[in-house]
This record gives sequence, C-alpha cells and structure tokens, in this order.
Amino acid sequence: MTLSGYEAVFFWIFGLAAIFAGLLTVMARNAVHSALFLISSLVSVAALFVLARAEFIAGVQILVYVGGVMVLFLFVIMLVNVGAQERGREEIFNNQRQVAASLIFCLLLVGGVLYAVNRGYSGLQALNPRPEGTVGQQSIRDQSHPPSATGSSRITEDAENVGASLYRYASLPFEIASVLLLVAIIGSVMLARTLRQEASADDVAPEVLQDEIATDPTLPQISAD
Amino acid sequence: MPAFFNIIFLLQEVETTRFDQMRQAAANPDLSKFLVIGALLFIIGVAGVLTRRNIIVIFMSIELILNAANLNFIAFSRYLHETGSVNALAGQLFAVFVIVVAAAEAAIGLGIVIALYRNKETIWVDEIDLLKW
Repeated sequence: MTLSGYEAVFFWIFGLAAIFAGLLTVMARNAVHSALFLISSLVSVAALFVLARAEFIAGVQILVYVGGVMVLFLFVIMLVNVGAQERGREEIFNNQRQVAASLIFCLLLVGGVLYAVNRGYSGLQALNPRPEGTVGQQSIRDQSHPPSATGSSRITEDAENVGASLYRYASLPFEIASVLLLVAIIGSVMLARTLRQEASADDVAPEVLQDEIATDPTLPQISAD
Repeated sequence: MPAFFNIIFLLQEVETTRFDQMRQAAANPDLSKFLVIGALLFIIGVAGVLTRRNIIVIFMSIELILNAANLNFIAFSRYLHETGSVNALAGQLFAVFVIVVAAAEAAIGLGIVIALYRNKETIWVDEIDLLKW
C-alpha cells in the first residue's frame, strides 16, 4: 500500500493531528479539555481509516466513539468532577518517581517499536516483493473502481464487503458481541444506580428506606425527592 | 507533488540521495508510516495510563490505546488486500469487535467510576487505596 499525491498530504496532516491531539489529551489539566482533544484525535484516526479505504470502520468510529462513548465520558465528567474548580491547583500527575519510571518505560517502548517496525517492514517487503516503479502508482484495486465525476473521490464497496464477511466468517463472534453489549448495558445500570433506586427495585418499604438514608454516613445528603 | 513537499519541509534542491529517499518516503507513505503513527498513539496512551491521577483521563488513555490497535488492524487489512490475500477483511472485522469491546468497557468503567465517587468522594486514583496495606 502506498499513498501518493494529495492522499500523502492528508495522511501527514491527519497523522500529526492524531498524535498531537493524543498528547494534549494526556497533558490537559481539565478533564473536559482532555475529552475534547480525544474527540479530535479519534476523528483524525477516522480520517486515516478513510485513507486506508476502510470507510465503514471510519463511519462506525465516528458514530460509536465520538457520538456515543465520548458523550458518555462528558456526562460522567459533568456528574463527577464537581470539585475540579476549587482543586484546580492540584497536581494532575502521579509522584515524580512514578512519572519518571513510566516515561523511561515509554521511551524504551518507543525505541523497541520503531526498531521492530523498521526491521520487520523490510522483512515483510522481502516476503511480498513488488515490482519496482510502483511507488506513486495507483493500486490494482483502485483501478477497478474508476474515479467519480469530480475525479477526486471513489465510492468503494467497503461496507458491503465488510458486512458480507462479518456474517460469513464472524457470525458467532458477532452474536457474542451482542450479548456482551447487553451485559454491559445491564451492568452499567446496576452499577450506577443509587441506594434509593436499588432499594425501591427490591421493594423495601419507604419508611425503612428513609431511615437507612438518614443514618448512612457514606451517602451525600441530597434531599430525598 | 515533490515540489509541494519541498515547500512544506523547506527542502533545498540538493542532490543527496538520502535526502531524496527521505522525501520520496514522505511523499509516498506506506504501511510502515501507519504502523509508526499507531505505535506513537499507543505509547502516548500507555504514558497517560501510567502517569495521570484522574481516573476518567485514564479511561480516555485506554481508548487511545485501543484506537492505536485499530489503526494497525486497518493498515494491515489494506496491505493484505493489495498483496492479494484471501481473508484481508479480517482486520476490519477485528476493528469492529475492538470498537464493540471498547464501548462496553467504557460503559462499565464509567458506571464503576460513578459508584466509586458515590462511596469515596474522589476520582484521584492515588486516593483509592482500599486494597492497599
């Protein structure tokens, strides 16, 4: 696979955007800023998916991550992070020693991974020799999909292919994933409900519940509606 | 297009082969460039998990890690498709399942965060030390 022309320009733009937005996600002091930088990183990676001709995955990435997961994150930040303003001076990173140790570990990981990519990729190219002079040439698959009227974009059959092979080769994992999502829905509802909701689901009498709420020191004293 | 890269990288027209090679590699990013970007995103995510104190930002870093894995899956899927592999779409299928698992993980994890905040009144991970002795 070799991108060329404007695809290469967009590859570098979105790749650098993904990396810098990821860095800012980790570095930002405010959690809401982190969430917004993570959204821009995810969108940039979705653009890289489009460049790699995976339009369906790119759409799923935008819909599920940016539309679903990140909204969930923002809701939880709004629910939880009430003390962020008054504790704004607090340190956002762990202790110095742990940060230093983890940064050393990450640098080792950078070196190892980049070395492995360089070494392994040349081996991969040796395994799949391609004729010289194909750099900058469109691939065979692209030639089978002629350019649209504007000449700039191609509508590929990616979603159709992914859907067909999802049901042809991976129907059992698909069903397991649906069960997993069901379990996750039920589990998150179970985890996030309050003591009051829990007790009312278990048919506890209201007066017992009032006593329990009034005597429980771990509960924040919110007016019982 | 090489002229464009000359402009944005401020390259002179020097006749060094190594320079030309680098410019050629930058003008035609291939599989290894996707892998490098995926590796950098992964490492940023690992650094975030290891260093941050806010548990929600740690969850976001985990999303970054999963996304880097997805990028590798997609890049290898494209590469195998162009080398004529039969089952090249397996990478895209894996990416779908990774996204599903990430969504489930985020829902459960954030439910745990809410329950934890209700009990401990904190989201700093160094203050959540019930299992420490």
